[in-house]
Formats: sequence, structure tokens, C-alpha cells
Amino acid sequence: MSPGVIRAYILKEFRELFRSRLILIVYILPTMIIILFGYGIRMEVTDARTLIIDNDNSTISRDLSARFEHSRYFDTRVTSGMGEQEALKRIKQAKVDILIIIPDSFEKRLLHGEKTEIGVFIDGAFPVRATTMQNYVKGVIYDAARSLTDKKPTNLITVNSRNLFNQSMRDEDAIVPGLIGLILLVAPAILSALLIVKEKEEGTIFNFYSSPIKKSEFIVAKLVPPLILHTVNIFILFLWATWLFEVPFRGSFLLYWAASQIYIAISLGVGLLVSIITRTQIVAIVLTIIITIIPGFLYSGMLMPISSMSGESKIEAHIYPVMYFNHIIYDTFLIGQGLDSPKNRLYLTILFFYAIFLILLGSRLMKKELS
Amino acid sequence: MAELEIRGVTVKHGGITAVKDASIYAERGEIIGLIGADGAGKSSLMHAAAGVIRFDGEVSFGGTSFGSPREAERLKPKIGLMPQGIGLVLYKNLTVSEHLSFFSKIRGLKEDAALNDYKHRLLKMAGLERFTERPAGKLSGGMMQKLSLICTLIHRPSLLILDEPTTGVDPLSRLELWKILEEIRESEGTVTLMSTAYMQEAEKMDRVYLFDSGTIIASGTAEELNETVKGYVYEPVACRSDRCIAAGHYTYSLDPLKTPHKEPTLEALFFINALKRGVEIPEIVVSERESEEPIPQVVMEAKGLTKRFGDFVADDHIDMDLKSGEILGLLGANGAGKTTFIKMLLGLYPIDDGELVLLGKPIRSAEDRLGLKARIGYVSQHFSLYKDMTVRENLLYFASMHGIDAKKASSRIDRYAKELGFTSYMDSLPTELPLGINQRFSVAAALLHEPVVLFLDEPTSGVDAIARSQFWQMLKLLKRKWGIAILITTHYMSEAEYCDRVVLLKEGRKVADDSVENLYKKHPAAKSFEEIFLHYYEDGR
Repeated sequence: MSPGVIRAYILKEFRELFRSRLILIVYILPTMIIILFGYGIRMEVTDARTLIIDNDNSTISRDLSARFEHSRYFDTRVTSGMGEQEALKRIKQAKVDILIIIPDSFEKRLLHGEKTEIGVFIDGAFPVRATTMQNYVKGVIYDAARSLTDKKPTNLITVNSRNLFNQSMRDEDAIVPGLIGLILLVAPAILSALLIVKEKEEGTIFNFYSSPIKKSEFIVAKLVPPLILHTVNIFILFLWATWLFEVPFRGSFLLYWAASQIYIAISLGVGLLVSIITRTQIVAIVLTIIITIIPGFLYSGMLMPISSMSGESKIEAHIYPVMYFNHIIYDTFLIGQGLDSPKNRLYLTILFFYAIFLILLGSRLMKKELS
Repeated sequence: MAELEIRGVTVKHGGITAVKDASIYAERGEIIGLIGADGAGKSSLMHAAAGVIRFDGEVSFGGTSFGSPREAERLKPKIGLMPQGIGLVLYKNLTVSEHLSFFSKIRGLKEDAALNDYKHRLLKMAGLERFTERPAGKLSGGMMQKLSLICTLIHRPSLLILDEPTTGVDPLSRLELWKILEEIRESEGTVTLMSTAYMQEAEKMDRVYLFDSGTIIASGTAEELNETVKGYVYEPVACRSDRCIAAGHYTYSLDPLKTPHKEPTLEALFFINALKRGVEIPEIVVSERESEEPIPQVVMEAKGLTKRFGDFVADDHIDMDLKSGEILGLLGANGAGKTTFIKMLLGLYPIDDGELVLLGKPIRSAEDRLGLKARIGYVSQHFSLYKDMTVRENLLYFASMHGIDAKKASSRIDRYAKELGFTSYMDSLPTELPLGINQRFSVAAALLHEPVVLFLDEPTSGVDAIARSQFWQMLKLLKRKWGIAILITTHYMSEAEYCDRVVLLKEGRKVADDSVENLYKKHPAAKSFEEIFLHYYEDGR
């Protein structure tokens, strides 16, 4: 390989990237994805607009209302004397998410040990959200009931935590590290595929075909610029995660960096393979997005833990590189076992060979001739 | 053994044979021409010779031979390939000097004073010394071709393969390009393999190979080839059988005619070959227009039209008028301001200075143009057709854009297809069509709404002789039957002679505006229109 040839090619790539302003996309796209998805995906519910109609206005009913008012999950307003119909209309108009009606003589009946009912209406337009809100409301009410009648414990239900290592139950902690895995798979692949396919589409690929440039020199020249540019994104994304989304970082930064760097190499390999089978930039972009975003999402562990998958989906999860990277990345952010964990060591090795395999395969399949 | 020998080369593109069993040889310093219609297999053979495509057969150069792109790697330092397409190998965002430095680096040339001198020489030969800092995307077509050529020459190849390097290039730039070729073949003994659509160029070459449907059907020097068709070429006269074609200034007939013979040019080869093979050349017909809208006497009147791009004045106070029933040829070197002028007429560029009256209406703002678009037809340099729609779908789409109702559009489309001879291509995609058919169908798209004026920007570049002759027949018929005005730009000086009047632009200024006969009278020494053209350009250089 001749360093002079590679340097000239790389210099040309950088000039084109800057002058065509493609460089902006290299840096805006990852940040956009992390901000859009980071804020956009919400599985937990906070500040649910709650309307409590307290028809009893007793100590117990006020205590119950206060528990809602003091919770960050509810944005509570308490009134009395509003009719049920009127209140239900508020839900229909989507002004209220939860409606709780405490009947009159609520306290009296409780003290007499009689059965009483609290009316709870929940906006069920989004079933998952509704179920979550329902569980929260139940939790608060049962909690109140327990403290009230500590003499005879009832069958209590509490809200169960979704993630063992996410004690604060923050969505950001569960989602943002996965997003880094998604972005570092999609963005470098698109850029590397584009850099090659652009030459095919515009015809400048003839400069490669007709000159003595070696295939290896061409591939290095095409993969190094995206590698350098996206390496910066490893740091930018880390900053967004820890500073903007306040995700804790408990592991080794060096491991995070090394794993991400290998992961970018895998992504470049995907882009290289895409560029071999496509001829136009638009097809290359669409194809890259399809083959990276779908597994990047499904097997990210964001939507569904891999451990709960079975059969084909489990096999697929093991075929794509996403699972291995995400395991390491979640570890560095939330757990911090690092290389002490044999699984992390194994997964890092798998990623390393994955990258080498893809790039070698791409170099093998690429032809220095018109197809 | 000859320096270059191509022996029995066959190239297939996904099952379709592009060129079959072709053999060519060339001695040191020779310039070899490949001619033939679009899609005849010239490019495929050149790709094989440059080692960029898989092929059967053998290519040997300077004693080394190869039979595949992989084996060709050894020879690549000696080969220079310039593929077909204006500025195809250039990076639009890189400047002229960045191109030279990129190409010399990827060729691993030593950066020394000698290389620098050579670069300067190349730039000077190409007339690009003043534009070293301009991005390639902002060069005119001719300049792009010259830049591509000097980038191909930077490593002093001993085998130069040029695929239509002069298509879309003005006569002056073509002359300069030829000077470069002559010079390097003298000084370095370079073997040049070159395809061209300009027969005057082919006549200057050492040997010419004529391609037809993937095979070489004739070869020899221009004189030898002309000798073979001499007996079939006559002074222009009307034809009476299908073994005869009348095209412009010549009539070609397989049967003897009473008319006197005429000295043939290489273009005759195309016609005689088509006649011998019994290829049906559809006769172009144009029927009356359906609309009875009157056409104004003066269609366009421009006074002092000016367009500036920053400091650069693309069009400098140009006066021009266009009358109905007139074909006006707009000529000039690449970058002289022809396309810019047409774009101003169309409202694609705002007018910086001057007055424009279109169809009797003074144009001051975009609103003034609103009603006019329905009466103007335009075909751009690149034929703006949708590649993913068939010819019929394209035409239906253009018709509905002009608000022509479906039934009327459909019958009009069928009529045009029949008259202009592309009925059999109606359900093909534009990319599958020969260039000549594409060009006629693009004009059909621009005629759907029966405009009263037609603007054509280099519609004939790269199109073969037969298709061009049919194209001009169509324009003449349009003029006669429809009485519309046609403004056309072209780089074929032989075509300028078919125009009623020509306007010559030079560096954004008008330098001539007269009928062809008058121009010949003014320049009695000129043997062809090309010489008149060059005369204007060489003045004051």
C-alpha cells in the first residue's frame, strides 16, 4: 500500500465532505437521533394530570389527596362538588388523564369497617400508559390503606421496578445507552456506503478502475474518513448521555471508547457491503437504514430484554452485533463491572472479530471492474 | 507485432453481447478512431482495452497481454482512460488545480519541478491557466472535457483511451484538444484510441473502425472507407425508393441515380450501411397543429440582455430577435453564454439588465410570464425526462402538466410517436433507448402543448448522423407546417448551415448575427462554416 495514494484520496474525501456540507449531517444526525429518541420515548408516566373530586372532605380523604399531590407521578388538582358527568367530560376533552372520585361518608364508612369504593377513571387512549397510570394509582391508594389500618394487613400490591440496575426508574438510563448503540451502527454505515456509491453513481469510480490504485488502498481511503469523523461522535454522544440526560456512568471510559471504536468498524463494514450491491446513493441510504435501524432497535434491549427472547428471535439477536455491544455499553453506564465480567470480555472479542470479518468480506467481494 | 493489438474481444453486459469478436491494432504514435451509432459497442470495447471490464479475448500492449481486469493491473500505469460523459471523472467540488494534484498523487508521480512544468504546460494547452481555482462543477462543458483530458494525461500514458472526448465541446476547444493529442503523439509516441461523433475528426485519424450492433463492419483510413461508398453518394435529390435516403446536402442510393455523384464524407458510411442492411429509417412526418391560435410575427425581442454571476459577466448586453417561421442557430464556444441566455428567456435565471419582449409581452416580473409558459417549448441539454417512467408515461405526465385532457393527449401522443418514428419504444424506459430516439421523444414532450416557440439547447450532441439528419428534417417540417420559431444551440457547424440565421456569441458578447449565405459572402475564403466560426474566435486572440 502506498501512503501517498491513500493520503491524496483521504484529503479529497475531506475536501468534498466539507464543501458539500455533508459534514454537517455527520454531526447533526447522531445528536438529533439521541435528542429526539431520548426525549421522545417515554415508558414511565410523570405528571399525569389528575383531578380528585373529594366529596367527603374528611381527614382521611384529605390525607389521600395529599399523597397524590406529593407524588411526582401526578399533577393533582383537588375540588369538591363537581358533578361526575362534568368531570368525565374533562377526560373526553383530554384535559385530564386520571379522575378520582372520593364518595361522601368515605371516612365514616371506613372507620365503621364498612366497604367503600373510590371511583377511578383513567384515559385509556394509550393502553400501555393507561396500565402504568392505573398501577400508580392503585399503589398510592393501597399504600394509604395500609398505613391507615396497620392492624390488619391486606393483600398489598406495590409498583414493581422494571430494572434492577435502574433503581431510580429513569427512562433515560434505560434508553440513552441503547441509543448510542443504534446511532453508532447507523451513521458510520451510511457515510461509508455513500462515499463509495457516490463515485459509482457519478462515474468518478473510473479513476479507481483505470488507475493502478490497489483495492486495499481504495478501501482504506474510503473507510478512514468516516472512522475519524465518527470517532468524535463517540465523545459527543457520551456528553449528551451524561450531561443532557444525566445518565450515570459507573464503568471504565476506556472500555466504552474501545468498544465503540470497534463497533464503528463493524458499521463501516456494513456500509462497505452495502456499497458493493448498490449503484445509487438513495438506494444505498435506504438499504443501510433498513438493515441497521431495525436490528439496532429490536435487539437493542430497549424495547425488550434479550434474555426474555426465545427461539428464532434469540438466534437472530445473537447473529446481529447489536446485542454484544449493548451489553457492554449498558454495563459501562449502569453497572461498571467492566472487563472483570467474563461475559464482557467474550462479547468484546466477538465484536472485534465481527469487525474484521465484515471488512475482510467486503474487501473480498468488491471488484475493481465495471459490473 | 503492433504496439496495441486487440484480438477477438467480446464483452457481455448481463447476457447481452455489447461487442463481439472485435479486433483492432495500432502502431506507435497512431490515433485510431472508433465510429458508429450510439450503443454499437464502442464504449464496451474501450472499457475492455482499458482493463476495467471483464471480457473474452486478448488485449496486448507493448508486448504485455491481458485477458481480464486483474491481469490488466500491470499495465494500468501506462494506460489513461477518459470515459464517456461530460466531466464524468471530475469531482464537482474540487478546483482545477486540486484535480491535477489529486491525479498526480494517485498515479504516484514524483512531485518535482518537472511535474510542475508539465502541469503548467497542460493547463496552458487546455486554456485553463486562468481558472485553476474554479471548482470543476462551475466550468463549462468544454472546459470540463479539457480538464478531464489533462487529468488523464498527467501520468503521460502511452496508451490513451478516449471515449467521445469531444462530444458537447465547441469547435475551438475541439481544435485545442486535437493539438494536445497531436503534440503528445509526436513527442511521446502515444497510441490513442478514440471514439467520436464528429466525422471531420474521424477523417483526421490514422485509421477508423466502423461499429454496428456490436461488430466492426469496416475499417481503414478515411479515404479507403470513402472509396467504398463513393458510388452511392449523389447531389441532393428527392428519393423514390426505400433503397435511397435524402439527407441534407447529400442523397444516398444503392440504385444508380441520374444525378451527378458527390464526394462522400464518413457520414455516408452510416447511411449506406443502414441501406445495405435494409434497416428501416422511419420517415419523419409532421401534420398541422390542432390549435388555431395565431402566431405573432416577432416571437422574441431582446435588447441589451445581461446576466452577471458575481464579477463574471455571462451575457453582456445582447440584442437578438426571433421571428415566426425561423430557425435561429445560437453558436459559440462552451461558456460563451448560450445556455445562460436561453435560461434568461425561460425565466430560469433572473435578468440583471436589459429588456425582453416575449410573444408581444414585455417581461418585467415572474407574473408577466405566467400565461406564456403554455406557449413555449423547451428541451434542455440533458433531456429532462423521468428515468423510471416509460416513454408513454412520461408523455402523458407532461401532457397533464400542461392541462391537456387525457383523451386528446393520448391521441396526440400516438400521432407524434408515429410521425416521429418511436412507436415501437413507447413502453420502454428512457434509459433503454438509443440517444437519437430519446432526443426525438424529448422534443415530442416539448411539443405536446403545441407551443409557438421552441428553445432547444444542444439537442444533437452525441447523436449519430442518421438520427441527426432525421432530427433536422423534423425541425424543418415543424417550421413549415406549424410556422413556429425555433432557437437552437449546437456544436456541429455542419448543422449551422441548416439554420435560417445564426447568432455567434463570444465571451458573453454577440459577434455575428446574419444569415448563413451572407456570412459565406463576408468570408469568401472559408471552405466550411467551421472556418467562419473559428475566424471570429481567432480574431483578437
